[in-house]
Amino acid sequence: MMRSEIDVLSPRTLEEALTLLQQHQNDIRIIAGGSDIIIQLRDGVVKTEKLLNILAVKDLRFIKEKEGRIHIGALSTYTEIIKSQHVKRHGWILLEAAKQIGAIQLQNSATIGGNLGNASPAADSLPPLYALEATIVTRNQSDRREIPIERFFTGYRKTALKSDELIEEIYFDGLTRNDAGAYLKLGLRKANAISIVDVAVILRGKHRGSYSDVRVALGAVAPTIVRAHSCEQALIGKRLTEKSLQEAAQLASQDASPITDIRGSAEYRRKVLSSLVYQALHKAVLGN
Amino acid sequence: MEHEISFKLNGEPITVKCPPAYTLLEVLRDQLHVTGPKEDCAKGECGACTVIMNGQPVCSCLVLVSQAENSDVITSEGLAKDGRLNAVQKAFINHGAVQCGHCIPGMIVSASALLMQNPRPTKADIKNALSGNLCRCTGYTKIIAAVEEAAKTRRA
Repeated sequence: MMRSEIDVLSPRTLEEALTLLQQHQNDIRIIAGGSDIIIQLRDGVVKTEKLLNILAVKDLRFIKEKEGRIHIGALSTYTEIIKSQHVKRHGWILLEAAKQIGAIQLQNSATIGGNLGNASPAADSLPPLYALEATIVTRNQSDRREIPIERFFTGYRKTALKSDELIEEIYFDGLTRNDAGAYLKLGLRKANAISIVDVAVILRGKHRGSYSDVRVALGAVAPTIVRAHSCEQALIGKRLTEKSLQEAAQLASQDASPITDIRGSAEYRRKVLSSLVYQALHKAVLGN
Repeated sequence: MEHEISFKLNGEPITVKCPPAYTLLEVLRDQLHVTGPKEDCAKGECGACTVIMNGQPVCSCLVLVSQAENSDVITSEGLAKDGRLNAVQKAFINHGAVQCGHCIPGMIVSASALLMQNPRPTKADIKNALSGNLCRCTGYTKIIAAVEEAAKTRRA
């Protein structure tokens, strides 16, 4: 369908959006900030008769803290995430990623819900959300589902979102001062670069210089974001030195299955991955 | 398929009848003949189409015109007041921060948006604010110097 023939429905409330989605679910696509889907529509990758423009649905635009848990409405932009004190204090690895997404213009329009729905394996917000073990809350007219992020993404650009559902919010247990965490991205330049590889690490449960809960999430090296379980296991309960971090980081490539594309070869990604994991662990635990 | 869409453009309320899935940039340039914003990459990577929407710079190639409904849009055409250029525009001229000129409307819009939000930017703030605007001629040095000067004259 030509873009000139596409209809755009613009609800103002969540209820209205869910009703429209239910009615038109077979021939409608959701547009939030638009920074991915507009390109896909122009390239002909996405074809649709109608667009559900949810940008004016204020109910989906919030960032709040409740009993140590951070809730982020799906329509929160990266600029809002960067400015949020809740995210700064309790989810700083997400803030680090948000600052490196695109440039100012994109941060002003791109939304976290859109980034989730678009399901790119190179989406910069996703490794932090995997490391935070975030939960995605979806809604349709009758139900509300809470889906752990690892089950939300089911394959390359595939999600568990049903055709009558939209993403309402993302929540995660906030990090505290005793927790360590870092996010690092390797792109071809500082701004407006899609990641070649990106890494988010979180270490929790600090006791006598070691941690009982270690999470390492890898971006752009598999069809979805993946956790580096062997690397995590090697660090749990261990005394963390440069040497032990380096040895654990070497294991990360076992969990990666990178491809060769315009930004880098599979071989390069594998090599650079362990280095980036090491740097992220070092930054989180031992400082820069 | 056409919708009537109303928004404020450079201070004036307007209503335009257009396909609702067209981008704001397409409608600005092709229907409203506001040609300050340019289309280069059409992917949000070059910043030539930057406009200020509700106080924030965005790529008008990545916003549907439907999403601009009821918003306040400022293009480079709307920066001068009563024929007087704003501080950023003047500083770009003073510094010769222009070569081919193609990126300049977007560059000036981004820089003006920065100074509206942050009257005392550091050099790092300026570089960050302009990191989404590509220039293939100038090497950026004069552009950054121009924005530094504009910040000073605006405060004076």
